[in-house]
Amino acid sequence: MFELTLPETREGNKTPEQLFAERTQRMQDALALKKPDRIPIQLGFGYMLAEMGGITRQELHENGEKEMELLEKAALYFEPDSAMGLFNNPGAALAVGDRMTKFPGHGLPPNGSFQFVEGEYMKPEDYDAFLDDPADWAIRKYWPRVFSKLEGLSLLPPLGIAAFGTYALFQLGIFKAPPVAAALRALGDAVEAQAAADARGQETFQRLAKLGFALPLFVGSIVEAPFDFMSDTLRGMRGIMLDIHRRPEKLIAAMEKCLTFQLEFAINFRKATGMKMCFIPLHRGSDGFMSLEQFERFYWPTLKNMQEVLVENDIIPFVFYEGVWDQRLKYLAELPKGKVSGLFQFSDIFKVKEVLGDVMCIAGGMRNSMLQAGTAEEVREWTRKVCEVVGRDGGFVMTTGIGEMEGCRPELVKVWVDATKEYGVY
Amino acid sequence: MKTQDLINAITEMREEDSLKISQELLEAGASPAEILDACRVAMEVIGKRFESGDCFIPELILAGEMLKGISELIKPRLQQEARQEKYGKVVIGTVEGDIHDIAKDIVAFMLDVNGFEVTDLGVDVPPAKFVQAVKDTGAKVVGLSGFLTLAYDPMKATVEALKAEGLKDVKVMIGGGQIDNQIRDYTGADAYGKDAMAAVSLAKQWYGV
Repeated sequence: MFELTLPETREGNKTPEQLFAERTQRMQDALALKKPDRIPIQLGFGYMLAEMGGITRQELHENGEKEMELLEKAALYFEPDSAMGLFNNPGAALAVGDRMTKFPGHGLPPNGSFQFVEGEYMKPEDYDAFLDDPADWAIRKYWPRVFSKLEGLSLLPPLGIAAFGTYALFQLGIFKAPPVAAALRALGDAVEAQAAADARGQETFQRLAKLGFALPLFVGSIVEAPFDFMSDTLRGMRGIMLDIHRRPEKLIAAMEKCLTFQLEFAINFRKATGMKMCFIPLHRGSDGFMSLEQFERFYWPTLKNMQEVLVENDIIPFVFYEGVWDQRLKYLAELPKGKVSGLFQFSDIFKVKEVLGDVMCIAGGMRNSMLQAGTAEEVREWTRKVCEVVGRDGGFVMTTGIGEMEGCRPELVKVWVDATKEYGVY
Repeated sequence: MKTQDLINAITEMREEDSLKISQELLEAGASPAEILDACRVAMEVIGKRFESGDCFIPELILAGEMLKGISELIKPRLQQEARQEKYGKVVIGTVEGDIHDIAKDIVAFMLDVNGFEVTDLGVDVPPAKFVQAVKDTGAKVVGLSGFLTLAYDPMKATVEALKAEGLKDVKVMIGGGQIDNQIRDYTGADAYGKDAMAAVSLAKQWYGV
């Protein structure tokens, strides 16, 4: 447990309202590739909150009020421009018996770390049904497979029957069948859990705003590169890599489908909520997974198109370029200039600035490993260099390479944030 | 039909041809050992291409599938064949608290086809289980995998557990999504490998191959 003594002077003793306005402006300027007064800092504390608060990760996930308190404390102690806690909440996943995730205390020890259980949840022979009608396949075949408590949905008639007007009503009796009724109850529980999590999320950012902290770049809709959409929760890595060789046409046709409905989702989300950001975490497109030739055929066209359409609809893609993208930066330079943003994990951040400095707002700059295993001098020196080179002329948000800070040492985080404020002034 | 045709089919990613040619070779009187040898040569080519960035994960996985298919084909005729001589033993696993297996499986596969006897302990492996496996197998090389930043401390604990048990001459390599040389130093591991072929090179180096 880490004792937090709040600093006596809070950024020039400004009011929270002033701080909120300043910090929001700083983030907005960086997003627009302008030069703010200094480099903004975003901290995605994640499980570091449990470590600092001396509680288990399970409690952090399941006690929303506690998470909020710890997040407020940590934000006030380190004073970044923007802060966030956990990325997701187990409520809905537990309610439906999600087989593709494991949460602390549920399939993992109380201090375990949320993880995906990747699998081949969509089989090669499912492609035709997916291409024919992804929604029908997902609800009647896929959900019963991946959500143990929704197995009853497999008893539903083809969803197209709904278009049969009054005759469709003849089929409603099936909803009384015990397995279907149980699935609907589980779905109802998941709805309640998710709505509660959404409300807590909203309250968190309202409370942070009242303390003077800007909204993190992660907050908005979430979509995936069509290739990752097909890989992450459907075919799994082994399956998708084989699809490249065994059924390339079907894979491409399926990606086109999930490009279309994901865009409709993100655009509707923007209209309904007014929120401009769209988070796109990338997984299998980085250096090392596939050749540039395969990247050009399978990964980039739909991801590029996705970002272009989002931009046309007044949405700012915030893309997590996980892993290393050094060989692929030239493709990223094709994106609409000044309209997109990217978080870089292990890419050469100086090279990223050189190639993409006039294209996108760059986030990142600090390796999580340095905040766990480095020294104060090393952190300070690295921060200075990143501020001077990557921060040059604006368009940069200082963050860790991933939006999670489990294991980071608070004293090194402090050194890093303070050094950014010192060297990041324009 | 020559074994070179089989090597070409595998390295050119012609899956159906690779099976057809293997079948034809068997019918023409080729021994299972000759076919396995051709597979090994093909995998060496693929491994080198992977190392130099000329082929990637889709090809490694497809090659694995082809090898699996060919093994099934020759299995009935394999019983009288002697087992292939191995360079040495490697114990591998994903460390405690982490359940990611994809990268670990690829490393295990590449070590196997490059001549090592691999004991794969699976995922979420506690330090004591690594120690026990090293004692049981007499392996001189241990590979620790992990995808999460959470893996840093269990890696460190595993290295310490091996040392505490007096297994000081056992070499430990680590790898995974969030791992770098700073974490190698932090955990006390002997080396960090950035991909599956790096693991093969390290194992070869440590076994003096």
